[in-house]
Order: sequence, then structure tokens, then C-alpha cells
Amino acid sequence: MDVPLLSLLVIIPLIGAVITLFMGGERQKYAKFVALAFAAVTLVLALVVLFTKDFSTLDEYYGWIDTAAMKMGISFSVDGLSILMVFLTSLLVLLVIIFSSAESDRPNYFHTLVLAMEVGLMGVYLASDYFLFYIMWEITLIPMYFMISWYGGPRRHYAAIKFLIYTHVASLVMLIGIFAMGFEVASMLGGPVDFSFDVINDVMPMASETMQSLLFALLFFGFAVKMPAVPFHTWLPDAHTEAPTGGSVLLAGVMLKMGSYGIIRVCLEALPAGAEYWQWVIITIAVVSIIYGAFACIAQKDLKKMVAFSSISHMGMVMLGIGVLNEAGVTFAIFQMFAHGLITGILFMVAGMAGHNFGTREIPLLGGLAGKVPVYATFMMIGFMASLGLPGLVGFWGEFGVIFSFYEFIDANNMIWMIVFCLLSLMLTAGYYLWAMQRTLFGPETTKIDLSHVHDVSKTEFAAMAVLVACVAFFGVWPDAALNFIEPYAHGVASLFGVI
Amino acid sequence: MDISSIFGDFTAIIPMIALLIGVLIVPGVHLGLKKPTATWGVALAVVIVSLVLNVILLTGDYQGTTLDMASYNPYSGLMILLFQIVLFLAVFVSNSSIETTRNNTGTYYALMMAAAMGMMFVAESSDLITIFVGVELTSISSYALVTLKRGDSRAAEAGVKYVVIGGMSTALTLYGISMIYGLTGTTEIAAIAAQTQLTELNWMFGIAMVAMIAGYGFKIAAVPFHMWAPDVYEGASTPVSLFLATGSKKMGLGVFFQIFLVMFVAGTACSAIAGEEIRYLFAIIAAFTMTVGNVVAIAQSNIKRMLAYSSIAQAGYILIVMAVMNDYAASAGIFHMFTHVFMKGGAFLIVGALICAGIGEKISDYRGLAKRAPFLAFAMMLFLFSLAGIPPLAGFTSKFFLFSSAVGTVDGATSEWVWLAFVAILNSAISLYYYARVVKTMYVDKGETTEKIKVPKIFLAAIVICLVAVIVLGVYPQLVFNYCEAAASFLLP
Repeated sequence: MDVPLLSLLVIIPLIGAVITLFMGGERQKYAKFVALAFAAVTLVLALVVLFTKDFSTLDEYYGWIDTAAMKMGISFSVDGLSILMVFLTSLLVLLVIIFSSAESDRPNYFHTLVLAMEVGLMGVYLASDYFLFYIMWEITLIPMYFMISWYGGPRRHYAAIKFLIYTHVASLVMLIGIFAMGFEVASMLGGPVDFSFDVINDVMPMASETMQSLLFALLFFGFAVKMPAVPFHTWLPDAHTEAPTGGSVLLAGVMLKMGSYGIIRVCLEALPAGAEYWQWVIITIAVVSIIYGAFACIAQKDLKKMVAFSSISHMGMVMLGIGVLNEAGVTFAIFQMFAHGLITGILFMVAGMAGHNFGTREIPLLGGLAGKVPVYATFMMIGFMASLGLPGLVGFWGEFGVIFSFYEFIDANNMIWMIVFCLLSLMLTAGYYLWAMQRTLFGPETTKIDLSHVHDVSKTEFAAMAVLVACVAFFGVWPDAALNFIEPYAHGVASLFGVI
Repeated sequence: MDISSIFGDFTAIIPMIALLIGVLIVPGVHLGLKKPTATWGVALAVVIVSLVLNVILLTGDYQGTTLDMASYNPYSGLMILLFQIVLFLAVFVSNSSIETTRNNTGTYYALMMAAAMGMMFVAESSDLITIFVGVELTSISSYALVTLKRGDSRAAEAGVKYVVIGGMSTALTLYGISMIYGLTGTTEIAAIAAQTQLTELNWMFGIAMVAMIAGYGFKIAAVPFHMWAPDVYEGASTPVSLFLATGSKKMGLGVFFQIFLVMFVAGTACSAIAGEEIRYLFAIIAAFTMTVGNVVAIAQSNIKRMLAYSSIAQAGYILIVMAVMNDYAASAGIFHMFTHVFMKGGAFLIVGALICAGIGEKISDYRGLAKRAPFLAFAMMLFLFSLAGIPPLAGFTSKFFLFSSAVGTVDGATSEWVWLAFVAILNSAISLYYYARVVKTMYVDKGETTEKIKVPKIFLAAIVICLVAVIVLGVYPQLVFNYCEAAASFLLP
């Protein structure tokens, strides 16, 4: 096809962002419709890409910087790993715009930020040049910074700057890793440094094991902070607690995935020897994240903070799948990324609505909401159930698959006792969700807050969450719809490790 | 256009001759007409003529030497262009700034052009003495320039401080040069480099080097010779601060490149005495300069002081080149000087414009600026993010090249200076903290009023020029980077 679909996925939100930026004054109440239109077009394009038979026909390359020492291009491509993320991004952005249609404080800027974030996210997932990848990676920071510091909660300044500095440091460490990969590949091939994925990811696996494991450490650090993995997670609860609901949905739904995407795309594809060298470290970090995140959830009083910590736990699951370094592990890690993106959207919407509708997100202050707001309660229940891995919903396949592949791995290494961690995590997850649900939805109606003016889910909120619930159910019943994209890709990655 | 046929042997210094004519006639215009605006117009015209002449030479790949002293080559041409851009920005806004003196307008512009002329001569020199003379021309003009500020006694204090410190650095430099002359019998840099290859030099040479590094270190405000910079930049009028922070500092860095890079890379065998040690010395100076600059900047509440410290830090980044010492690093360093002119220049211009509109120099005065002056706040945000190295702005691209040079070359990744790259990136992150704080003050904090701010049109035009440059150089760095590569490969063949 001649239409540059992939660049359009980046350009269309950019145009939308610029237009909404200038819709100040009287026109700002129409900003949401403009944003909606652009997000909808992006989603349609993403679907067109999704249903393209051969992704390689979509590749795009434009020359950009070409000096004696370095060569960078604007190049986009899509494969089994990125397509689901692209779909997820465009879907969540659209739903966030629908969900936040009641935003009344400078709504045009809010939509500018959402669309600008979409530009960066799409760029990260579609870029196939390290220079472009890094630029897009950094571009996502600025809208999120403003999103938190403009529309956030009471401690928003602290949270915003912490988010900015923390993830910026991580990106810079990653940048040094990118430099070193570029130079290393250039020395092997001769000629200027070429930053394209094709060249670096093809040649880098032939570098020495020492070099690979060194660079793996740098790049992995950069990505792990974004994911976030314990002990680099401390920015996340603050950012989430203070961010507006729409921001949280995008942050947890697609921005955290940038981390795991980077680990698979860069650390596994380009540095397989490094991944093998650090395998146990990855697994340890993953297990610690899962268990620590789950324990932290139990201790939380703030509903949103609980969901934030559950993200740490679930992203640990993704990391565990990656750390196993076999085909099933990578497959289900990617599936878990996708599943978590859908589920966490519902969770953060539910948690955010608690703040808007009841005036508090403190679990001890809530209680017996099921009778008062039944629709809200239903969504919360579906979200929690999906997240704890109820069979038939999408979360089940991600967790089940990762644990399955992990079992395979520890079985091969005669360390079957490690399954205890998985069981513990399942128990804890079920525990904190059910306990939270019991305290908020059931029991006697709370008297600690005034429930007389409380209204149930609004139409737009309902629409946004209903779409996510439909997706959660659809991919829960028919996981193959997503797995069909992932499997060929995961097969290719796993072949780098000689374990099929 | 072939202008070398018109000016013959003097083509190499024709951009300076143009300025020299300006230096001579501008005070006359002032005395004759007594109209600051007329004086400004003449000065600006001279600067533009000089700029155009240089662009013609540079794009025509002209190379030539005048009187065996000043040589025009890809390196000097590019540096001259940089100084001319700085001069243009400073002169362009001076007439509209309320800080500029109204009584000594002729002197003011003449001094500014003389200072720029000194910088240009430095760029064309390849001899320690001519470099010294050029640096002095710039310094002495700048001392007077700093004091020429309307209605503020801090300027006089800053001027005195500048003179005392400057005098000391001059003495140190001259001491170093005299020792080198005593040891090698020449002041020509290439000849000194050749000497170091032939004979084993003793510790005297090391002392001479250190004296020179210290002397010129004052000029670029490298730590520990940086104390004067914030006081001077704060005390001087904003166009002068802009001129000093972006121009005079680049001259100092250019001197470092021309003397030390050429001496130690062209004279490769100098490892006999000081090669490796000097590189480590530079690496340590670079690390301290960027760290001290950034850390102290956090504590500043005056925006001009904050920008001054951030300038110190930026010079620290460029000093990475002196540790890495290869042509790729040099091209990256020169490119960073260029981007720095526009982003730091732009930031100073906004500060200057706001001073004209009655907004103070305190960061807290910028509260709610996004509502009062949306364009200025937006431009300031871009300049600050560019300084912090956020893509896709110019500061990111130049830092990308600069920091990558510490990680390796096309011959492979090397570990020697990776620690320096780490220091640099950590500093980048620190700097983002205080830049983001200003952005937060402008965008998030509520101001006392929402009354719109009107600033002089001339300032807006200059800011737009810088803004366009910051974006274009970020997205399409090749526009200038190709020239930087040519310059670096001339310097280090």
C-alpha cells in the first residue's frame, strides 16, 4: 500500500495535539470533540494495520541525519510485538478522551497532552531506529509531567518532578548503552555508526559476551525503571496517586509497557548473551517485584495506590516471562503486557471515579457501595476479577501462561520449589483484591462519608469502561486473537537463545 | 561571489576589518547625531555587513592567510560565524533594552564590536602571542562593557571584580607562554607541537601548561576559576550578559581547542611529558565544572545567576572534548557551542525582554507567566528544555553527539572516558531539576495578576530567531554539523 500508514499513526495525533493547543477561550469546550475525532482516526488506522496480512509491506524509511560519524533515519516498522501495543495505545487514548469528557479545567490543554503522549507512545512502539526510539521515549515525559502537575492531586508538584527526574536519569543511562551498541556495531561493520534496529539487532548478538552483558546492564536499568521493577519503583506510586485518572490510565496502561517493550526489543533481540548472563538477576527482580507489589497492595488504604502497586506486581509477571528466555515465556510476557494494559485501564478508571464521585479513595471510609452504585460496583468487580486472573477473562491467560513457562524453566533447572513464589503471589493477589472489594462494596453502607449526592457511573464513563470490559472478555475467551500475532515473533526471539 | 579577488591578501580578515571600521565610525555617529537609535542602526548595519561577508567566505570554502598571522579556514570561519551571531543578537536588542546606557551609546557599541573582533582574531590565530592579543582585546573591552549599565551600581561592582580576576588570569597565561617560549624558542603552536616530538621536555613544560590552563580556565569559568561569572552576568545589563555568556566563553573554549587539542593531538609523541596526564587533568576539570555548575544552580533564586551557573555547567560538557581528544569529539564540541548560543542566548533574551516589561530577575517573579505572556513562557520552556537536553530540541542533539564521543568512536566502544559520560548524564538529570522548576513556576504557579505583558518587538524578533534555530538544529542538525565536522578535521587533520 502506498499510504504511509505507520507515519500517519504518529502524525495524526500530532496534528490533533497542535489544533487543540490553540483552541483556547470560547472554543475550548469543543476541544474534546476534535481530540476524539483525531483519536478515532488513529484507532481506525491502527486497526487497518492490525488486519494487514504482511507487516513488512508497511515498513517506512526516510533518510535524516547523515554525517561522517553517524547515520540516523526516520524509520518505522511493526511486528508481532509492537502491533498489540499500537492497538492498545490507540484504544486507551480514545477511551481516556471519552472518559475524561467532563474535564472542565482548561480542557483543550488536557487533550493536547493526551494526544502528545500518543505521539510519543506510537513513536516508541513503531520506531525502528535507536535515535528515533530514544527521541520518542523522551517525548512521552513532557506531556506526562504537565499532566501530573496541572491536573493532579495535592502533592502533584513533588510527584511530577520525581517522575520526571527519575525516569530521565534512567533514559540517560539507557542512552549510554545505545551509544556503546552503536560504536560496537560500527567497529564490526566499518563505516559510520548506523542506529537502525535492523543493523544493530542483527550484528550486536555477535559481540563478545562481556560487552553484551555490560551493555545489557545499562539498557536493562533504563527499561526496568520505566516498568517499574523493584527496587526502582518508588516514583510510580507517587505519580499514580497524584495523576488525574486519564493520566494514570495511560501511564499504567501503555507507558509502563514501554519498559517491558524495550527489554524485549533491545535487551533480548540485540543482547541475547547478556540476557543469559543476567538471567537469574532478571528472575530475582521479577519475583521480588511480584511478591513485594502484592504485599504492598494489602497495606494500602488508598484505592488508587493499591492499583498502582498491583501494577508493579503484574509488571513483575511480565518480567518473569521475559526472564525465562524461552518461547512460551516471551509469548505470554507479551500477552500479559497486553492484558494488563486492558485491565489496568478499568482499574484506574474505577479508582479515579471513587475520588470524583465519593470524594475519597480511602478504602476504610468506603463501604456497602454495591447497593448505592450498582453499575460502579459491577465494573469494579469485573476489573478486580480480571486482574486476579479469573479464568475466562484476559488476565488469566497472561498469568497462567507466564507461570506455566516459569514452571517449565524451574523444572529443567531442578528448582521446582520456586513455584512457591508463584502460588504465594496468586494467593496474595486474590487476597488483596477480594479484601478491598469486601471493604468497599459490601457490608453495611458507610456512614463516614456523605453518600446522599453520590451518583452512579455517567454515560461517557460507562462507555469507556464497557469497551474495555468487552475487550477483556473477548480476549479472555479467545486469547488466540492476540496470541496469533505474538507467537511468530516470540518464536524468532526464542531462537536466539537456542531454546524453542 | 568571489570577494577574494577584491580584497586580495586581506580577504582572510575582511570580516574583522568591517567591524574595525564600525568601531571607528560608531562613536563619531553618536557624537554627531546624539541619537541612540541612529547609532544603533549604524552599528547593526556594520555587524550585518561583516556577517554577510563571512557567510560568503564560509560557504565559498575560502581558505587564505593574511600577513602570516591570521588564517581563514573551515574552523576559524565557523567560529567567526558563531561570534558574529552572538554579536548580532546582542547589538540587535541593545537599543530596545531599558538597561542599555543612553549616554555612552557610541562607546557601548564600539566596545562590543571590538570585543567581537578580538574573538574573531583568536579564531584565526595559530600563535600563542596573537591568541593572547586577541583574548586581551576581548577582555579589556568586556571589562568596560560590563560597567555600562543604566542606573545600577551593581554593574560597577561586577566590572571591578571582572577586571581584577581578568588581570590575574592574564598574568598567569603570560607566565605560561613565557615559559613555553623559553623552553621551545617559539610561540607558534604547530612548531611547539613539533618540538615536543623531537625533544623530551621537562617538568617546566608541565608547569607552563598548567599556568595556561588556569589562565584560560578563568575565561571559560571552569571550576575552580568560576567565581566571577555569576556576579558579572548578574551585574551586567542583559544584552551584555548574553554577549559574555555565549560569546566570550566560546572564545575561551576555542582557545582550548586551538592550543591544547592541536598541541597534543597533532604532536602525538608529547606523551613523553604530559599527554595522558593533561587529558586526565582536563577530564577532572570537566567533571568538576559541570557538577559544581549544576549543583550550585539549584540553589539560585535569581534567574540570571541560575543561567550563569548553567553556563558554567555547559562549558563543563564541552570540556569533555579536551579529555577525549579526537576529531569526532571536537566536531561535537563545536556543534554544542552553536546550539548553546541559541538556547542560552534565547533564555537571556527572554530575561532581558521581561526586565523591559517590569518583571524582575527573581525566579519567583515568573509566577503565572504562562498566562501573562504565553509566547515568552513557551519559548522559555523550549530553551530550558533544550539546555536540559530534551529531544527533539537542539540541546539534545548536540549533547547526543558530545556525550557519545566519550563512549567510543567508530572503531568501537571504549571504556576510558565512559565515567565522564556518566558524570555528564547525571549532571544532565540534575539540570533538568532546576530548569523544570522554572517551567513549573511559569506554568503551574498562580501569579498575582493575569495582566498581559507587552515586550519590545525587537526582542520578540530576536527570540523567534533563537527559537527557530533551536528547533531546526534539533530536527536537522546536519545544517551546521557538516561545517563542524569540516572544522574539526581541519583542526585535527
